[in-house]
Amino acid sequence: MLTIIVRSIIIYLIVLLVFRLMGKRQLGQMQPFELVLTLIIADLATIPMAEVSVPVLHGVVPLLTLVVLHFVLTLISRSSHFFSKVISGKPVIIVNPKGIDYQAMKKLNLSTDDIFEALRECGYFSISQVQYAIMETNGKVSVMPKADFSPVTNADLKTNAEDNYLPIILVSDGKVIKDNIALAGVSEQDIQNMIDENGSGKQSIKDTLLLTLDKTGQGYFQSKKGEGKSFQIEVKK
Amino acid sequence: MKFFHYMNFILIVILLVGICFAEDLVVSNSLRQVQTDCYEIESLLDSYDHLKNMDITLAVDNLEYDWTENEENMCFMVNHKNIQEIGVEIAKLKLYIASDDVDGFKVSIEQIKFYCHSYLHFMGANWHNVL
Repeated sequence: MLTIIVRSIIIYLIVLLVFRLMGKRQLGQMQPFELVLTLIIADLATIPMAEVSVPVLHGVVPLLTLVVLHFVLTLISRSSHFFSKVISGKPVIIVNPKGIDYQAMKKLNLSTDDIFEALRECGYFSISQVQYAIMETNGKVSVMPKADFSPVTNADLKTNAEDNYLPIILVSDGKVIKDNIALAGVSEQDIQNMIDENGSGKQSIKDTLLLTLDKTGQGYFQSKKGEGKSFQIEVKK
Repeated sequence: MKFFHYMNFILIVILLVGICFAEDLVVSNSLRQVQTDCYEIESLLDSYDHLKNMDITLAVDNLEYDWTENEENMCFMVNHKNIQEIGVEIAKLKLYIASDDVDGFKVSIEQIKFYCHSYLHFMGANWHNVL
């Protein structure tokens, strides 16, 4: 039994490494060949784990071979448009201004229910709202609505909206994110000052659930026991 | 970062090639060693009418020692179930010596040679095995 435990740890670490090397794509974002690789990897990993007579190498070697194969396929896909089309396919327009493209629908083996489901997922409940719907190579549907149904943007309203900045997390669950301190241009003393100003009573970094700050000085503070609170600080220029 | 990404894959390729060579080397050397030991035992059998003598006993001990040593290395690369028959047949050889069963002894030697030969064929990279 100890052998199985040790083998499971080894295989787990190797599968973890394999997925890290393959990239961070989620299941829904995978190209067909990536999905196939993921399924094979899951199956391969279990063989040496469960069967003690099979050497770990019998699981590791195919896993590493698939990583190399994936790397080579990705490299070729990136450099050759033709190869990319062969391996991953190409996006297909399933709804155009004239309506549903029946030929495309048949080719992709879709039903009208599938198309409606995909449109609903994108927030469009009627096909009359849709100008184009495109089935992407990873199986997701992208929708371009008709002009009347497009969301209004600041550009449409011609307002001078300021750009938003990404909030930088300075403290998360009582721990200072050291890499982000330099990114935000603050010191640990500044963080303590922010906590003192926004927390109720004497609070330390350990009592802080979340502290964020963006480039404009807009911040958010929440202690582990209290409510969240937005604040504004002066930014050093 | 990209450099390390490429380096990772180059290292994996080198590792895979290394494993292939190591497997080929370890498995063929081990099995050929066993085959050689079997041929030696067979030549000894020609000179004796019975099994209860020091030469054959030492030769079988030598075969068992070689197999035990090599099996440990082979277990890193070969499914244990595929090679355990050889160990079983070697154990039988000792029983045949005790009971002085020459025919059974010869059959076991033939079987050990057959397992070695078939496994050497089975593990080689050729089109029959690949397809």
